Amino acid sequence: MNKIETKAFIQEKFVEYYRQNSASIDPPSSLTNREFAFLLFKERMMLRHKGVKNAEDLRTLLKTVVPSDVYYSSAYYEKPEEEMEAKGWLGADLVFDIDADHIQTPCGKKHDTWTCNNCGATGRGAPPEKCPICKMQKFDDKSWPCEICLESAKRETVKLIDVLTRDFGLSPQEMTVAFSGHRGYHVHVEDETVQTLDQMARKEIVDYMVGIGLEPRFHGMEEGLGPNLEEAGWRGRIARGTYDFLLNTNTEQLEEMGLKRSVVNSLINQRDKILESWKSRGPWKTKGVGSESWKKIVQKAIENQSVKIDTVVTTDIHRLIRLTNTLHGKTGLKKIQVSASDIEQFDPLKDAIAFKEGRISLVVFEAPEFKLGDERYGPYKNIEVELPTAAALFLLCKGAAQVKEEH
Amino acid sequence: MMISTTKDAFLKRRYALAEAKRAYNLLKQENKDKITQIANTFNWKIKPAKSETADFALHFTDFLRNTTGFHETKWKLVNRTMLNGEVLLTRDETARLLAEEVRGHIERKLDTKIGLELPPGIANRVELLQQLFWSKKGKMRLEEMPKEIVLDAFPPCIRQLYNTILSGRHISHVGRFALTTFLINSGMTVDNVVDLFRSLSDFNERMTRYQAEHIAGGRGSRTKYIPPKCDTLRTHGVCPGMDEICRRIRHPLAYYRRKLRIMQTATETPTAPRA
Repeated sequence: MNKIETKAFIQEKFVEYYRQNSASIDPPSSLTNREFAFLLFKERMMLRHKGVKNAEDLRTLLKTVVPSDVYYSSAYYEKPEEEMEAKGWLGADLVFDIDADHIQTPCGKKHDTWTCNNCGATGRGAPPEKCPICKMQKFDDKSWPCEICLESAKRETVKLIDVLTRDFGLSPQEMTVAFSGHRGYHVHVEDETVQTLDQMARKEIVDYMVGIGLEPRFHGMEEGLGPNLEEAGWRGRIARGTYDFLLNTNTEQLEEMGLKRSVVNSLINQRDKILESWKSRGPWKTKGVGSESWKKIVQKAIENQSVKIDTVVTTDIHRLIRLTNTLHGKTGLKKIQVSASDIEQFDPLKDAIAFKEGRISLVVFEAPEFKLGDERYGPYKNIEVELPTAAALFLLCKGAAQVKEEH
Repeated sequence: MMISTTKDAFLKRRYALAEAKRAYNLLKQENKDKITQIANTFNWKIKPAKSETADFALHFTDFLRNTTGFHETKWKLVNRTMLNGEVLLTRDETARLLAEEVRGHIERKLDTKIGLELPPGIANRVELLQQLFWSKKGKMRLEEMPKEIVLDAFPPCIRQLYNTILSGRHISHVGRFALTTFLINSGMTVDNVVDLFRSLSDFNERMTRYQAEHIAGGRGSRTKYIPPKCDTLRTHGVCPGMDEICRRIRHPLAYYRRKLRIMQTATETPTAPRA
């Protein structure tokens, strides 16, 4: 099969999914005030400014259009079908997106590949500054949803939920958490009090999450003084981040931060005593560690506690968001909701599988090892294999394989 | 009422600000109960704080609605203590936020149209007020941009984006928007902007031109876009760090104007030999 036939094959599978599962697809709240958008298989064109009357209307649309990706607006409009300027913005959900692309992950993204646009050289991981062969700086890159990346994204999501509940006072029932079907998680807050917040207010919420513009002096950091572990908001977060940092750090890391040799020695040699001191008034008066050193350490604590969200998504009050239980065109997995309290046990690469039956014979060009469901697959290179539908579709959507011709 | 009939946005803002200042001076002398009562009339979710260092606990949405215009770093949400959705505030800070609410309230009220004709006596006064205002406002200098783009006067963020684009490397969406709006606003033509993006791997002439024209106000809504504020660029990771001039401004275009002025005075002044 060539590229076009492979695309048609994928679309056939999507048709199957939407015919059998449309009943599981629920529209978002305030349906008639939302804009819908569909990315079409044909020419990768985006059909925008669509309005939907009711759930049945939406399900019929999905069965007839069969898009590669389905989106709706986080915003509420008076007239969702008009052009942007005439829509009449009424408000928008508060939305967070956590994507492995924005996080440094322990796997080093070895599964990602880049290709130099100039000479065709390829490599693994994030693209280099310059092509090692021709020194040009333009690349195409391909990313994979790996379990380690997704675990890092989950850790950030857990942090986000913690800040939303403890600091922002939202209950787990007031937020919707979902795996996007590709490389990350979405968290939605539909609470009425946040709907009318403007871009500037949302930017402040982003800065709060990421710790941008945070000045420790407003959180109890003074000469010989600092916050305590159980304090509220960023105070406690700075303290807990500092505790974690001091617990896990080593001489090498401390020296890299530009701390003086004597300070490094004080921190390492007195580590137990310092950790013990949190029970009383904290480590801020430790002998041999001055306020300049604490500043550097606290910066590390802030980095450690900050939530790595996509800053653009949250500040955009007209954002289009993937609809839950629809398929992701890059993976053939579905976006799936998970309750905020169950996220620790959630296995995205298992629960998001949309196709549970059948097998498909493929020719795989190249694919790193990956996990889907309870099985591991690959690595593959120019090989014919027969795989369960979900794994096969995953490789096809990723452009890493084509369906084997039947003779 | 007189101000609202002038239909002048600048005058309305000045008036609302003056009233807000007056309100602040009165409010900060009031006791906690009175402040709570006034806050309640604006539907604030506020209650006394259970804290030694703060007087009030205010819901973060009410806090955000009234602080995004403030520039002092102590008003950033990330620099406040927040628990259960409530931001801790002193009495004085609460008075300041209430004054801001008053300012917004007055501005909105001034925007409502007055249907009736003013009696001649009052209409004359409004006329006089407006004339007085225009004579003063005329003195406020409107700054012109130079005709040529002066690369040396670019702020660090724009310089970095510009260099990245020149070398054909990828920049974020926010980065592209900041660069394009900056270049268009400092006088670069749409053609030149499109050429600049030509070296990108995902360059698409039709799309780039469409977007550049849109930003320049030539399409669709006809609004001309300006670059995001420094604060916003910082949020989206576009700010590479501040230099001396950055500390004095809040907007990349303000940086450009200031730097141009500095460069101009540097070339105009002491080089001339004494007679």
